[in-house]
Formats: sequence, C-alpha cells, structure tokens
Amino acid sequence: MSTADKIEQGKMAVIDSITPSELTLHLMEMGFLPGKRISLLQKAPLKDPLAFKLENTVIALRKSEASLINVKLEN
Amino acid sequence: MPEVLTPAPSTQQSTFTVALIGNPNVGKTTIFNRLTGLRQKVGNYPGVTVDKRFAHIKLGQREATILDLPGTYSIYPNSEDEVIVHRVLNGLDKENKPDFVLAVVDMSSMERGLFLVTQIMDLGLPMAVVLNMEDAAEEQGIKVKTHALYQALGVPIIQSNARSNKGIKGISDLIEQKMFEKPSPFLNIQELLPKELSLAIQEKFQLDNTYQAYQLIRFHENEPLLDETQREWLTNQLELSGFDIKKTQLEETQQRYKGIQSILETALQKTDLGRKRLTDKLDSIFLHKIGGYAIFTGILLVIFQAVFAWSAVPMDLIDGFFASLSAAVAKLLPAGVLTDLITEGIIPGIGGVVIFIPQIALLFAFLGILEDTGYMSRVVFLMDRIMRPFGLNGKSVVPLISGIACAIPGIMATRNIGNWKDRLITIMVTPLMSCSARLPVYVILIGIAVPESYIGPFNMQALALLGMYLLGIVAVLFTSWILKLILNFKEKSYLMVEMPLYRLPRWKDVLITMYSKSKTFVFAAGKVILTISVILWVLASYGPSSAREEAIANIEVPANTAPQEVQDDYQSQLASAELESSYIGIMGKFIEPTIKPLGYDWKIGIALITSFAAREVFVSTIATLYSVGTDVEDELTIQQKLESEVNPQTGEKVFNLATAFSLIVFYAFAMQCMSTLAVVYRETKGWKWPIIQTVYMTALAYVSAWAVYQFLS
Repeated sequence: MSTADKIEQGKMAVIDSITPSELTLHLMEMGFLPGKRISLLQKAPLKDPLAFKLENTVIALRKSEASLINVKLEN
Repeated sequence: MPEVLTPAPSTQQSTFTVALIGNPNVGKTTIFNRLTGLRQKVGNYPGVTVDKRFAHIKLGQREATILDLPGTYSIYPNSEDEVIVHRVLNGLDKENKPDFVLAVVDMSSMERGLFLVTQIMDLGLPMAVVLNMEDAAEEQGIKVKTHALYQALGVPIIQSNARSNKGIKGISDLIEQKMFEKPSPFLNIQELLPKELSLAIQEKFQLDNTYQAYQLIRFHENEPLLDETQREWLTNQLELSGFDIKKTQLEETQQRYKGIQSILETALQKTDLGRKRLTDKLDSIFLHKIGGYAIFTGILLVIFQAVFAWSAVPMDLIDGFFASLSAAVAKLLPAGVLTDLITEGIIPGIGGVVIFIPQIALLFAFLGILEDTGYMSRVVFLMDRIMRPFGLNGKSVVPLISGIACAIPGIMATRNIGNWKDRLITIMVTPLMSCSARLPVYVILIGIAVPESYIGPFNMQALALLGMYLLGIVAVLFTSWILKLILNFKEKSYLMVEMPLYRLPRWKDVLITMYSKSKTFVFAAGKVILTISVILWVLASYGPSSAREEAIANIEVPANTAPQEVQDDYQSQLASAELESSYIGIMGKFIEPTIKPLGYDWKIGIALITSFAAREVFVSTIATLYSVGTDVEDELTIQQKLESEVNPQTGEKVFNLATAFSLIVFYAFAMQCMSTLAVVYRETKGWKWPIIQTVYMTALAYVSAWAVYQFLS
C-alpha cells in the first residue's frame, strides 16, 4: 500500500481509500473514489504540485493532499 | 406553529428565474453568454463577496431571468463560491430563488457531472440537464445514450456543443416552454436521516423534503438567515438524535456514486481510441521545468508591452479629448463658479477614470484569453510551490500581474481564489505592486535624484526605475509573509485545480468579458474618483477670504506695459498664492510638522493630500504649486523647476537627493488610490480590511521614507 504522491510519473495506481480529513469529502466529490484508476501525468517543475489523470480529467493536487489518497501501485 | 425561514416572493406567471449550475469548465459561461448576449448585469449576492451574473431575456411572450451560478462540484460548499450555490438552491437566498434549474454536464466527465445533478434532484427542484462539450467527448470515444439516461433520471436532456452554437436553440426553446420536470429523489434519504429528526425540522421550517432538512441541519452553524434560538434548536435536535452527520455525508457520497455508476453502465458507451491526447502533448511543453517558465515569462512580457505601449495611443487620445472638452465647455458657458466646477472638477474627474479603460480592457482581454485557452490553470500549477512560503498560492499570480497595470482589476481577479485566507492576503498586498499611476511620479523624481550616467552599459536612471518595480515585488512577498503569520484563520490552505483541455479562445466570449469588466470598473471606481475630484476642487478653490486677500495683496502687480514673460510670471505667482491660502493649502501647513522628519515642506504636504485620491494627481499638483505655468504635461519643465526650488529660510535646495528618494519610497508604498479602496471595500464587504490596508501601507510608507531620508541626509 502506498499513497498517491509516491506514484511514479507515467505509472498507474488504483485508489484504495481516502485517509479521513477535512478534505476527504472534497476529494471524493472531485472523483477520487475507491476503485478508480489514477496516473501521475505531470509534476510541477519544483516537484509539487502534482497533476493526476483521473478518468478523462486532469486534477492538480499538492503533495500534502495527494498523500491522503491511499493507492495500490500497478506494475 | 411552523416558522417561515424564507418567504418566497410570489413569482408572476409571465416571468421566472432559471439558474444555470454545473462543475467548473463545463461551458456554463458560454451557454450563459449565448443565451443572454450583452444584456448581462453584475450584482452582488447578499451577504457574501461573490458577484452574481444575471440577465433578463425575452423568449417569445415570456420574460425569463437567467442566473449564472459559480461552478461547483457539489452542493456541499467548500469555498465561498460554492456557499452561493448551496444557498440559492436551498431557497435560503430569497432574492435569487430559482423557479427552475438548468444543470450543465461535461459529456466527457459524466460521472462527476451527474454527482451534482443527482444532488439537485434530491432537493426536488424542477430541472433539465444539458450535456455539453459533445466534441470533447467524441474525441475521447465517449457516446451517451440520451434516452437511457432520460429514463434513469426522469428529467429532460439536451445535447449541445455551446462553442459551435449547437443545441443553443434547443436550450432556449426548452426555457421558453418551461419544459423542466420535477424529478423523484435519486437517493432514499430517509435511510440517511432519522425520520423523527427530519419530520421535526421539515415542520418547523416548512421544508418540502427530507434532503432539504438534511442540508439545513448539516450547515445550520454558519447559516446567516437563522437566528440564535433556531440554531440552538437545531444543534439540540442533532445531539438528541445522536446522529453522526459527517459519517452520513461520506456514506451519501458513496451511495450516490454507486447509483451513478450503475446508470452509466447502460447509458454510456466508451471506446478506447488509444490516441495520446493533444492536451497531454502540449502539457509536456508548457509545464516543462525550464521551458514552462520561459514561455510564461514570454507571455508576461507581451502583456506588459500591450498594457504599457499599445494602450499609450488610445490613452493619449482620451487625455487630449477631455482636455479639449474642458476648454470647449469653458468657452461655451459663462464664466462663473459652476463653470469652473465643471471644467476643473467634473470633466477632469471623469477623464481620470476613463483614461484607464484601454489598459483595463486590454488586460482583461489577455486574462480572458489565458483563462479560456486553459493556460491559466497551468500558471497556477507552475507557480504554486514558489508562492506558498509567502502565504500566497498559485492562484495569486494573476492578481499580482494585473497589479502592475492597475490594482483594481487585480483585486477583482482574486475571486478565483477559493481559500479565503489566501484570497484576503492577495487583496491586501496587490496594491504594493508598482501600478502605472506611479510611473509619472517615479520618472520625475528619479530624474531629480539619479544622475543620467552609466554604469557599464546600464543607464542609472533606468536601473533605478527597474529597482522600484523590484522593490514593489519584495514588499508584496514580505508583507504576505507577515500577514500569513498574523492572520489566524482556521481554514487550511490547499490546492485542487482541474486542468482543462487546451482550446482555442472563444473571441466573442473574450469580448463580452472585456466589455462587462470594464463597465464594472468604470462605474465602481468612477463614482469615487468623481466625488473626490469635486471635493478636492472645492478645497483647492476656496479658502478663508481674509487669508486669500492678504496673500494676493503681497504680490506685486506688473504694469500693463510689462513684457509677456513678466505677466505670465505674475499669473502663476497668483495661482500659487491662491492655492497656498486655500483650504487645502492650510491643510498642507497643518500636516507640515508630521512630514518634516521625512524631508518634506508644506507644499509637498499638499501634494501628499491631493494624491491620496490618486497618485497621478501628484504631478499636476506639484506643477501648480511650484508655478510651472499652465503646461503640466511637460515633465521636464517640472523637473527643472523642482531642482532649482530653494527653501527661503535655509537657502538650501528643497528637492535634494534625500528628499527625492524619500518621496519615491513614500509613493511606492502608500495607499494613495481611492478607487482601489472602493474595490477592496466591495470585495471584502466592509470597511475593516480597506482601513487596515490603508493604515499598514501608510505606516510602511512613512517609516521607509523616514529611514531613507535619515540615511541619505
């Protein structure tokens, strides 16, 4: 088990759960739901924030928010 | 007896309100623009700091009001924008209670769009769904079976591609014929909220259904429409029922998505086209770790060039127009006080606002294009990490860039910042960016203080000017950092930005934005500038009559035969003496002791007072004070005159190096712009923040100017 901020660029992962916090609901409303596949599309030049591809949308999150998303890394 | 929370206004048969609602970037604004054209009005939502855009349109025999709501992912608010949506849809905002809802969904992102749609369904409002951005969906191999979707949702569905105008006719027909339908609830809310609790709330507040009751109890702590006893009652009920509302909300979210997924299994057809999207390829260029910043810098340079160089021509024309208008009116009307007020107060006052229109319109056009092409969210992505240590975020970059032209559009642009602390800090520091009104002041004073010599290939005066712009940026970062430490808000800073597909700009929408924003600026700032100009004119034209006569009597009247030069000199001495004995002259003398430590005399004091309304007034005031003659446009003349000005008591130069630098620094930091204050008042909905801003900026200006003067003299 890992978190979304640790996904390597271009690799996929499946969301397992969201760590409970103030932002949990907001993340879920944006579409970060258990079972969804996400990939890391881009890192900002200073390695933070990160742009994730989720279905057909690209959403930028800071590392601190991405670390709330628990994922299973795919090979 | 049941309490009525919000008595709904009786809607007449012929006119009704349709609220447009949807996720950000789904093309909602394009649909709004297509439906309403230039009839748009901007107002404020009562009690919050967000603009509402609405327009009255005529469809056949019917009149409808179209209300554009801020983009949102859910009716549970996460930002101030979203609070609006929550309140409007729950009927808590009686002024904007919609009769119908038109929900716009991005066809290529159906799941998230339907999340919001099903929440609205549960509120029980009559609605219809627009599936927009057909082209983007097609590009990604997505097809929607609208009939299956209609069967699942039970509300009318229209497919459209608003950019190419497709489906707009269908949407306006639907509105005209009021083909909205009241859906049955999507979720079984009774399972979520205990029945007794729900019934009690519904009865007390006369709510239509369980979901509304659930919403009210979820957000009652921050709902301004409730009074203290109502809030206490709700909190009590919540405690009595032992109901865990946060947990329920997570449960609701999961159930909702589950339901949507099962609908989409039948209603959505996906084929993997296996293509790499153009957007992804473009991002590898625009977000490149070196190239990305180089492109961004290039774009900034083009914007600066436009705002300073391209807008100079129309600005000169406007300036000339108002000058000749003043002269023409002066000739036309009989000489007198009223004519003076019109030609010296009102017309220049209006001119002072209108002259900024080219800069503001150009700036908004550029910002509109950057936003519309999808590039702006990339700027946010590039800059977020850099801005964060200072208490700002990626979204603060846009207002700060605008601030180099003028703080007013900059502060208006902070509305994109969802987080209130980040937004407030940005509003508070944007006026420290060196705006274009400071430029004439800098040019004159640098001309006095800095020799026109070279260090290597660099012109010293140009370096000094560049230094002033850098000083502004340093002040912005430093002040933000201090504010970050001081301001104690519970809200946590975060960034969640969707990066939309790159697209060609919709020129018509850019023009509409440019027009409506410029209009807002002219009316918001115009009122203040005009008022202040009239007040200043009165203070500068009148004074206690005894002082006036005395001052004039002391000037030697030249003989009629004296040469023209002497006559001119007499006229300017007269003007100067009159100003000295006017109310504003007396005020200048009054504040002299406080500004003496900065190296200023009472004449500079007058300039400080008059330019409190707007910095650029400094040049014309100084020109009058030092009797430069009538041509205030000639900056060189002013400079020479100032350099030779000698203090009659000490025999020393008034504008020595120390005084000039001290003044430059004062103008760099002081809040001398009434229009900015007016906009800050409007954006923060009160006098608290504009007053704090004026106090801190004036203090910063005073202390820095004092330090500079003491160091140099």
